[in-house]
Amino acid sequence: MPTTKLNLLDCIWAIMVKDGICEFRTRYAVSALFMFALISLASISMSIGAASLPVDITAALLWVLLFFCAMAGLSRVFVQEEEAGTIMALQIYGPGQAVLFGKLLFNIFMLLVLTILIIPLFIIFLNVDIYHWPVFIVVLILGDIGIAAASTITAAMVAKTQGKNALFTVLTFPILLPQFLSSISATAKILMNSKPDMSDILFMAAYNMVLMIASSIVFDYLWYD
Amino acid sequence: MKLILLLWIMLVIYAVLYIVPPAEGLGELVRIAFFHIPVAWVSVLAFLLSAGWSIQYLRTRDIQYDWKSSAAASLGLLFCLMATISGAVFAKLTWGAYWNWDPRQTSIFILLLIYGAYLVLRASIQEEKERARIAAVYASLSFLTVPFLVFIIPRFYFSLHPEPVINSAGKLEMDTIMIYILLAAVGACTALFLQCFNYMVQKKQKSA
Amino acid sequence: MYQEISVKLVDVSKSIGTRVLFTGINLVLNAGQCLVVTGPNGSGKSTLLKIIAGLSQPTTGTVQIMSNNKQLNAEERRTCLGLISPEIIFYADLTGCENLLFFTRLCKIRCNEQQIEEYCQQVGLAISMNQLVRTYSTGMRQRLKFALMLATQPLLWLLDEPSSNLDADGKRLIAQMISKGIEQHATIIIATNEPWEAEHADYKIELT
Repeated sequence: MPTTKLNLLDCIWAIMVKDGICEFRTRYAVSALFMFALISLASISMSIGAASLPVDITAALLWVLLFFCAMAGLSRVFVQEEEAGTIMALQIYGPGQAVLFGKLLFNIFMLLVLTILIIPLFIIFLNVDIYHWPVFIVVLILGDIGIAAASTITAAMVAKTQGKNALFTVLTFPILLPQFLSSISATAKILMNSKPDMSDILFMAAYNMVLMIASSIVFDYLWYD
Repeated sequence: MKLILLLWIMLVIYAVLYIVPPAEGLGELVRIAFFHIPVAWVSVLAFLLSAGWSIQYLRTRDIQYDWKSSAAASLGLLFCLMATISGAVFAKLTWGAYWNWDPRQTSIFILLLIYGAYLVLRASIQEEKERARIAAVYASLSFLTVPFLVFIIPRFYFSLHPEPVINSAGKLEMDTIMIYILLAAVGACTALFLQCFNYMVQKKQKSA
Repeated sequence: MYQEISVKLVDVSKSIGTRVLFTGINLVLNAGQCLVVTGPNGSGKSTLLKIIAGLSQPTTGTVQIMSNNKQLNAEERRTCLGLISPEIIFYADLTGCENLLFFTRLCKIRCNEQQIEEYCQQVGLAISMNQLVRTYSTGMRQRLKFALMLATQPLLWLLDEPSSNLDADGKRLIAQMISKGIEQHATIIIATNEPWEAEHADYKIELT
C-alpha cells in the first residue's frame, strides 16, 4: 500500500508546482501582465517625452505599476480555481494551510519574475539611476512579498463574490497600504542616493510576517465552510 | 429615551452656538470642531465595534454578531463621511486647502476606504452565511493594519492638525466650559449612534 | 491509519433560503455498509453528500464521522474520504497522470508513476494517461475520478451519480469497485437514481 506520510511542506510545494506547470503551459498570466507593465511604462514615458520626473514620483510610479500589475493578475490563483470548478477537488484533497501557502509562494514567484522583467524597462524608459543595488533588491523583494501576501488572502475572499476583479483592488489596497507607503519612501530614498533607514526595512519585514500569520489564521475560516 | 436624546442634542447645539466663545486664532470656526470631533470619534468607535463583533462572529458563528457588525459599519461609514467633510471644510477655512494629506486626514480617509471595501464586499455576496463569514474575515484583517498605520502615517506626512483636546503633555488647552460642552457633544453623538444602531439591529431581528 | 469509519447523522436538515431540502435525517452507518440516497433532481442528494463531506454546513443537526469511537475533526475527516461527484473537476492543463500525482500527493500518499499507470489501466485509461485532461471526454474524466479513488484508498466513499456519462463497460467497473470496497470494509454512500446501483444498499434514504 502506498502510504508514506509526507509533511505539510511537501503539499505546499506540490500546489506551487502545480500552479507553476499550469501557468507555464498557458503562459497567460505572465505574458498579459508583462504587456500590461510594458504599455503602462511606455505610455508614461511617451507622454513626458524628454522631461525627467522627480525621484519621489518615479518611486511612487514603480510601486503603483507593480501594484496594478498584481491586481490584474494575482487574483487568478483562487479565481481561476473557482471558475474552472476545480476548487472543490482542492477543498476535498488539499489541507487548507498548504493551499494558502502554496498559492502565496506561487504569487511571490510570479511577482518576482514580473519585477525582474519590469526593472530594466523602468530604468530604460524613465532614465533612472540606481545607486544602492543590494538595498534596492531587498526593498523590491520585501515589497513583492507584501503585495503577494495581501493579495493572496483577498483573492481567496473575492473568489466567492460577484465582480471579482474590481472588488479585488478595492479590498487589497487598504490592507496593503502600510507596506505600500513604506516601499515607496524606501525606494525614493534609494533613488535619491541615500540609503533607507534600517527601521524602514525592518518595518516592511515585520509587516510581511504579521500579514502572513494573520492570513494563515483567518484562512481556515474562509476555506472550511 | 428618544425624547431625552433629542433634548440633549438640542441643548448641545444651543450651547455650541451661543455659549462657546470664539477661539483665539480660529474665530467662529471653532464651532465646527464641536461637530467634527464627536463625529470622528464615533466613526473610530464604530470601526472598533464592527471589528470586535466580526471576531466574535468567527468564534461563535452566531448570525446576530454579523448583523451588529454590518450595522456598525454602515453607520460608521456615514459618520466617517461626515467627519471627512466637516474636517475638509474646516481645513479649507483655516489652512486654505480642502485636502493636504495631513496624517489625520489620511487616517480618516483610510478608514473610509476600509468601510467602503467592507460594505462593497458584503453587497457582492448573496448567501447570508458566506457573506457573514467572508466579511468578518475582511473586517478582522483590516483591523490588523490599524496599529501599523498609526505608526507609519505620522512619519510620512507633516501635521497641521490642532493637537487633540488633551495633548501629549496632558495639559488641557481649552476652557473648562468648552471641555464640558465638547464632552456633552461627544456623548450626544455616541448616544445617537447607539440609538440608530439598536434600531437597525432590531429591524434585522424582526425581519429574520 | 483509520481502520473503520462510521458515519452518524443527527437530525440533519438543510434549507437554502426559504426552500427546505430535507429535514430530520437520523442515521448511523458502520464500516462495510452501504447507504443509497435516491430522489428526484433538486431533492438535495448532492447537498447531503456535500454536508457529509464537510464542504457545506447543515442548517440544523450535526454530522459525526467516527473512527474507533473517536470523532474526527475536519482535517482528519478530509484525509479519510474520497468523493466522486460531477462537481469534482480536474485541472485541464495537466495530464491525467499529473492530476493523479498531484492529488495523491496532497493526500500525503506517495505514488510512483508505475502505480499510477496501474490504476489508470484498471479504469481503462492506460493509453490516454499522458494526455492533457482538456482533451478527455466526459466519460474519461469520470473514469479518472475512479482512478483517483483507487490511488487514495479512502475509507469513506461518497459517490454522487457515479455512473453518469459511463458506457456499459464503465458501469460494470463501478459495480465491481463498489462490491470490492464493501469487502474491504469501506463505508460507502451513493447518491443515485439508477436501480442497479441501489442493489448494494444496506440502507436507503429517499428524499423528496
